[in-house]
Amino acid sequence: MTSRDVMLAAIRAARPAPVERPDVRARVSEFVPHAEAVFSFIEASEVAGARVVKGRRAELATLIASVYPAIGRQVSVLQDLDAGSATALPHSFADTDVFVCEAVLGVAENGAVWLPLSRLRHRSALVLATNVIVALDSAKIVENLHDAYAAIDVAADGFGVFVSGPSKTADIEQALVIGAHGAKSLTILLLEE
Amino acid sequence: MSGAARSLPVVHSAPVDHAAAAAAFNANEARVDWHDAALWFVREKRDRAVEEVPEWELLRELASNIKEHTLSRLDEYLVAFESAATANGAIVHWARDAEEHNRIVHDILVSRKVRHLVKSKSMLTEECGLNAYLEERGVDVVDTDLGERIVQLRREHPSHIVMPAIHLTKEEIGETFAEHLGTPAGLSDPTELTAAARVHLREKFLAAHAALTGVNFALAETGGLVVCTNEGNADLGMALAPIHIASMGIEKVIPGANELAVFLRMLARSATGQRLTVYTSHVHRPREGQELHIVIVDNGRSEQLGRKDFWRSLKCIRCAACINSCPVYRRSGGYSYGATVSGPIGSVLTPGIDLHKYAALPFASTLCGSCTAVCPVKIDLDAQLYRWRQIVVDAGLVSVTKQLVARAGGRVLASRRLVAVGSMLFRSMLRAFPARLLRRLAGAWGRDRELPVPPRESFSAWYKANRAHERGGADDVA
Repeated sequence: MTSRDVMLAAIRAARPAPVERPDVRARVSEFVPHAEAVFSFIEASEVAGARVVKGRRAELATLIASVYPAIGRQVSVLQDLDAGSATALPHSFADTDVFVCEAVLGVAENGAVWLPLSRLRHRSALVLATNVIVALDSAKIVENLHDAYAAIDVAADGFGVFVSGPSKTADIEQALVIGAHGAKSLTILLLEE
Repeated sequence: MSGAARSLPVVHSAPVDHAAAAAAFNANEARVDWHDAALWFVREKRDRAVEEVPEWELLRELASNIKEHTLSRLDEYLVAFESAATANGAIVHWARDAEEHNRIVHDILVSRKVRHLVKSKSMLTEECGLNAYLEERGVDVVDTDLGERIVQLRREHPSHIVMPAIHLTKEEIGETFAEHLGTPAGLSDPTELTAAARVHLREKFLAAHAALTGVNFALAETGGLVVCTNEGNADLGMALAPIHIASMGIEKVIPGANELAVFLRMLARSATGQRLTVYTSHVHRPREGQELHIVIVDNGRSEQLGRKDFWRSLKCIRCAACINSCPVYRRSGGYSYGATVSGPIGSVLTPGIDLHKYAALPFASTLCGSCTAVCPVKIDLDAQLYRWRQIVVDAGLVSVTKQLVARAGGRVLASRRLVAVGSMLFRSMLRAFPARLLRRLAGAWGRDRELPVPPRESFSAWYKANRAHERGGADDVA
């Protein structure tokens, strides 16, 4: 018998009496919605350490330039700027100063944005870049994670990540430090059409 | 080879003496106070984060239901997960125990000539002793979670499953960094120390040939892995290295994304008071050209699944809310438990692994129930601790004194007459004997406590005199 067979047999022999699968969608639909979604999203993003800048999509380039004046290396999937081909080595983004991309949606309850691989193009750029700018259509903010997962296909693209705020740690005496291994700053550009 | 033929005689290592280790930790009172306050600070952040979710109790109920459902069909969910993950391009391995897990990981590394491995936080690999196993075989292992890197440099182990270096002061960490990372002597500012670690570990990420991550949740329906970090270390590892190995216990699997939402809403809030971790990554396929290995580990879990009083401990999502809430943990420190997972959850998991070694842990609790009240998946921790105590006593694994005292106490409390006589005796002793002598008789309990002022009469006598007419007799009260 392989280890797989041994383990599965042991689990089958040990497992407790059947417990019915709860209907999660039905249960969560009973939850009362919170306050206004855009307002909650901004508050939650800022609590997580992000900066939120409102603007119009037509002014995107100006907005990005105002957040980070063009110094150093900017990689922008959104503007197709220095974003490399799909086969670029992940290490080639090691010296990225600013990485720009657009989220599929934002979550009001926790300020997170959903970034599937197609929006990142490269998984490494998001965490190697010193500063990250994420554009988000303000009409694409959902109430909570239940609504978020109902709206996305979690397996599409093979990779996706919820990001809320810049990377952080409190491993030294519980003192909050922004900029652990990933981005030292995260700016959300909240766009109106 | 059958499972039964494989099982080796259990070799007992020395039993964990929690009380002695706690006493050593308590020798430095200022440090105990600081440790206690640091953990309570996290617990308070948790309370604030939970209060803002009106449906919290519904979420707990749902989370508990989902886990119990999944565990009740765990073999089917694991097979479904394996088949979806394989279809996505992952290679799935099965490991019965720590040794097999370590061997599988080592084989992957050796066959691909990997000498540099970066690891994100994984309590499972701590449990398996993977680092020592690989280092003995010439693999350079770097823990990349800041807290884990700190304890690794000090040749220590995490003292807490979420905050591995919670037992250390910034000055101590400063000394460690001065020695290993070349930071200026005396530097103890957390921001500057973190910046130094960032530079040091960035090099390791860029040079790594393989990345090993833990798994917070595995999705059976889509074959995906969910990994949560605040620092971004798991993402840097798996986004750069040509090989990604993910180690997971069998209990990590859940049905799918709808269920995932329930747990993610609770995990960070329970752990650190955040609404979500900074990076919540969903890995379904390896990167173009990358290898993704998933190692599914049992290591005693299926045995725990078969214990009718303890299988619910496998619902745990490792948030550590019970640990932060535990008055004993906060004042005895993580090392006093002598196990990878400490605190209340550790004390219900470890006796099942080695009853002899961990017999003391179910007693490292006041049974106050605070752990059960904060558990996001509603594990009845205090009830399980109490049940383990009974098993430990039945196995004869408590001291002779404790056995005799407990037996005598049981006999007295079972008899109304003996309780009345005993109480009278105690009241007289409190009046007649010097406190110093009585304290000694009261054992550990009396060491740091004032003895009570003896009441003039027993409650029973008082009741007879004052209330007996109301209910027709005091016979119901002792």
